[in-house]
Amino acid sequence: MPKVGSLRQVLALGLCCIAADWRLAEPGWQYQFPRDHHVHPEFKTEWWYFTGNLIDLEGHRFGYELTFFRQGIRPPAERDPNASRFLVNDLKFAHFAVTDVTKQRFHFEQKISRGAFGEAGFDDGQTLAWIEGWTLAANGDDAFDLVATSSKGTMHLHLRAAKPPVVHGQNGISAKASGLGHASHYYSVTRLETTGEFIANGKSQPFRGESWFDHEWATNQLAAEQVGWDWLSVHLDEGSELMLYRMRLQNGAADPSSSGTLVAPDGSSVYLPSTSFRMTPTEYWKSATTGAKYPIGWRVEVSEQGIEFTVRTAVKNQELAFPPLVYWEGAVDVRGTRNGKLIAGRGYLELTGYAGPLRELQR
Amino acid sequence: MTLQYLRLFHRHVVRYIVRHRFLALLNVLSVGLGVAVYLAIEIANYSANRAFAATIDVVAGKAELQITGPVGGLPDGTFPAVARHPGVSAATPLVRGIVTLPDLTGEYLQVLGLDIFTNIPFRTFELTSFRAAGFDVQRWLGEPEALAISEEFARLHHLKEGDVLRAQVNGADHRLRVAFVLRADGPSAVVDPHFAAMDIGWAQELLGKRGVLSSIQLQLSDVGNRDAIIASLRGVLPPDATVATPAQRGEQVQNMLGGFQLNLTAMSLVSLLVGMFLIYNTVSASVVRRRREIGILRSLGVTRNEIRALFLSEAFALGAAGVIAGLLGGVLLARVLLGTVSKTISVLYVLLSVRELALTPWMFGSAATVGLLSVLIAAWLPAAAAARMDPVRALRAGGMIEQSANLSPRWLWCGVGFIVTAVALSWIALSTGPPWMGFGAAFCVLAGFSLVVPQMTSTFSHAAQDVLRAMQSVEATLAAGNLARSLVRNSVTIAALAAAVAMAIGVSVMVFSFRRTVESWVDQTLAADLFVAPASNEVVGPSSFIPPEAIKFIEEHAAVGTLDTFREIEVPMGRKNVAVAVVRGTNQRRFPFVRGDGVAIMQRFYREPCVLISESFARRNHVSDGQSLELTTPEGLRSFPIAGTFYDYTRDEGLVFMSQPTFLSIWKDDRINSLAVYLKPQGSADALTSEFRARFSQTGQFMLLSNRELRKRIFEIFDQTFAVTYVLRTIAVLVAIVGICLTLTTLIAERTRELGVFRAVGGSATQLRNVLLWESGMIGLVAAIIGVASGLALSLVLTGVINRAFFGWTIQMAFPWGSLALTPLWIIAAAVLAGIFPAWRAGRLILAEALREE
Repeated sequence: MPKVGSLRQVLALGLCCIAADWRLAEPGWQYQFPRDHHVHPEFKTEWWYFTGNLIDLEGHRFGYELTFFRQGIRPPAERDPNASRFLVNDLKFAHFAVTDVTKQRFHFEQKISRGAFGEAGFDDGQTLAWIEGWTLAANGDDAFDLVATSSKGTMHLHLRAAKPPVVHGQNGISAKASGLGHASHYYSVTRLETTGEFIANGKSQPFRGESWFDHEWATNQLAAEQVGWDWLSVHLDEGSELMLYRMRLQNGAADPSSSGTLVAPDGSSVYLPSTSFRMTPTEYWKSATTGAKYPIGWRVEVSEQGIEFTVRTAVKNQELAFPPLVYWEGAVDVRGTRNGKLIAGRGYLELTGYAGPLRELQR
Repeated sequence: MTLQYLRLFHRHVVRYIVRHRFLALLNVLSVGLGVAVYLAIEIANYSANRAFAATIDVVAGKAELQITGPVGGLPDGTFPAVARHPGVSAATPLVRGIVTLPDLTGEYLQVLGLDIFTNIPFRTFELTSFRAAGFDVQRWLGEPEALAISEEFARLHHLKEGDVLRAQVNGADHRLRVAFVLRADGPSAVVDPHFAAMDIGWAQELLGKRGVLSSIQLQLSDVGNRDAIIASLRGVLPPDATVATPAQRGEQVQNMLGGFQLNLTAMSLVSLLVGMFLIYNTVSASVVRRRREIGILRSLGVTRNEIRALFLSEAFALGAAGVIAGLLGGVLLARVLLGTVSKTISVLYVLLSVRELALTPWMFGSAATVGLLSVLIAAWLPAAAAARMDPVRALRAGGMIEQSANLSPRWLWCGVGFIVTAVALSWIALSTGPPWMGFGAAFCVLAGFSLVVPQMTSTFSHAAQDVLRAMQSVEATLAAGNLARSLVRNSVTIAALAAAVAMAIGVSVMVFSFRRTVESWVDQTLAADLFVAPASNEVVGPSSFIPPEAIKFIEEHAAVGTLDTFREIEVPMGRKNVAVAVVRGTNQRRFPFVRGDGVAIMQRFYREPCVLISESFARRNHVSDGQSLELTTPEGLRSFPIAGTFYDYTRDEGLVFMSQPTFLSIWKDDRINSLAVYLKPQGSADALTSEFRARFSQTGQFMLLSNRELRKRIFEIFDQTFAVTYVLRTIAVLVAIVGICLTLTTLIAERTRELGVFRAVGGSATQLRNVLLWESGMIGLVAAIIGVASGLALSLVLTGVINRAFFGWTIQMAFPWGSLALTPLWIIAAAVLAGIFPAWRAGRLILAEALREE
């Protein structure tokens, strides 16, 4: 069960934007791997985001999301290693969600921890992030092991990169709005061959599939007039991957800083400025829990690349409600054409800011 | 029957009361005062207990079990093992400490260091940002100074968001910033406004408690399994940590306060007792005055029981009015007493701020019951006398004067019996207990002396008549004769006044003796030239420590000869905590030992692991020299031989002294609460003080007191402790003086015919007034003599029995002869003053009307 009370407090985070002592995401960042898989404590916000579509031996389809968040409380310069163990330098929390497409079920959980006793933290050797039994560990330079235990059982995932990391945006930053600092450092490992098992009641249920890993860090990236974003990642069956995000302004329009990336089967990537694609909602779903109305169906056009497809989901309720932190993050299917040829694929859609503006925990 | 009774009641009670309004008013007033005092003390006591319970609610929250840290605190590394322990469903760590706020004089905050990640299930309050709704986690976790204060504290001191508070801990200044509000959950919750909260990490830093916790609160998956969980938890905890339900801590404090509160209640009952005398007086006057009426009613077929009921209902009517007035007055008086009671409790027992009156219907019910019962008991005898009255004799003319003038020796023997009982009860209270037997003894003293009053009054009357006749003072002789003629009535008045005087004197002598004893004890033990402590300890008790560099500075100062250090801690002993004082020995501290060779005891004290105990500790815990104390230490249970018992008047719970070497070898904690500095012969305390202030105490972080200043402080606290006592004493005397006024008024009404005759045979109005003033002066004189005598006896009981039995203090009797000698003077003056109004009214009696019946 999500601890609603604690999260209520966490989410006031959204209002906080004092960034003087934190480093801004600025052009010219030189990405190095595996170094950049690790934590970047001089930035205020950071996350490691894993999503994927899986299938078990019986052919049941699953989707999963496992995200580790770091919200900086005190910049490194102010930290005193000898001070009280209870002092929180980074707020640590994580979300885990599983979508059972076949049974139309969605389960989500949150963990949040002070980490005073090492029960949560970042960057302990190969373990990039952990919180009370949920862990993300690097396994060599191009593989990751994930573990998450929920009330339903324990999920073990082994991810091996099929392509090298792709840096989004231009000149080392992914812009989120105009103006200095409204940007993040953002890369993805867009296709990870995934195997693993789900262990519940002593029974092991193996599965396999494909995952997507996003790692992003920044300080104060959203602008005041932005209320949220719509983000989409797709594994296309022809071997390429597409990521698009649309920063939404208060008036509902997309910020010109929105962008995307297309990754070719050989791993090469193309930057997609906001002028090069269009995302149009086609279907809405209203949450009975929060009252938020989410656009869960889309029509997407990336005209220069000849790509056109629709986005639909088999499970409408994939809302993670940890009020006031509320968003929709779910497994989706795409179907369309590229240069006249039929394409299909699976991916993840993220919709934020529909249950009230969300400024800091952004995508 | 009922209807007829109501008619009777209306005709014979209501009309009577209406006709004697002034008299009725005085009765109502005296009952009212007694009930008010009783209720006020009940309210103050209950409010203090409630306030304490509320602090437990805030601190322990919804915990089902609480692990409390030992002296040095609980190492915070124990938390994960406790939280994961089987049977524990939720756990939250807590750091607690007190900061004083030197810019808000005398103010302090109880700072709770909370872990917002784990304490949600435990909270009995709500935390929000000061201005906006919601909760700024970033600020709570990230800002070292961010503090949550209660709404009431903010209002009291006009604090707003962002205001900076200067706070002192361990002799150092810190800054705190008002950022959050702490609000009690639910409309009925009471939060002590002194509670403040901040993040546990920043609280550890602020309070100098890095690495330690004050307590861990637990919720259990199965409360029924609590004892097993407690037992297994002990396995992962240091041996001197306590595991108990939050309520157990409450009970401990409640037991500690019990004696103090019972004393207040007993004192409050004295006013009620004085009120009972007055009611007795009034009702019996009304019986005597209405002999004819009774005779007529009886002749008309009214039964004895109905007569009794009639007089009881008269008393009841007056009592009921008094009770109503008393209930209202009690709430008002409670407001006055509350501050004093709460301050006394803070000084003597536990830091507590009682701001709200806690009222329960039960309290009012008990005050009303006690008030009405006392009235009915007081009225029973005269009402029974009325019922017994023979209708024929009652109707005989001229029989208006009291019949009971012939004195029965039974009274005297009863009196002697009570006094013997008092001695017996005193002996029981002191030897086997229970201690409240002491109050029984005090009551017997008052009762015994009251019963001696008729004999004394009669003797006085005859002796005075002889003397005054010889002096040819007609008015005075007549007055002396009157005294014996209305013997019962006058005796009751005298007894009431004497009881009040006795109480005033008993309490005065007790306090005086106590003060003298403390003075000589202070002379004996307080030998150092300068005392140094963090200023916050003055406000909130020994919670802060002197930094080592400050101690070093004094130690190495040229003017300083030697140094005693003092540390006070609470150590578990059996199921309770005892206060242990740790002293560093330079052998300068002189203990006034109850027995044994002081030098030899002190040598042993500093040489080997042993303890000294105070007299009250010995009495309370039934231990003595040569036996051992079993204390729970960080190394588990340890036994400490008792090397000596010393006189001590600092706390009624008692005190254990341990030498610093003994303490250090087991507790490994060398922090110091205060210092006693002995100067070299040529050293100057002023010079050392100003150098120390310049170096460490620019903004008043330390309190430096010279020997003389400390003594002054001690006696300020002493007087504070007895402030409530003084208030109660004054009220009892006031009630008694009201009684004189009442008695004379009834006497005059009763003797209307007699006074008429006096005027008819040529006595002037002035002469009549003089007779009455003489008479009231004599009432005062006899009351003063008996009051002083019984007061001295009472003071023996209060000082030697109640104090010893309850608090275990040996107090050397001392008598304030000067003020004792003056007592008869002001009692007589008060009595004469109280007689002025009735005498003036008597002088205005219209002759014809007074004699109409003749």
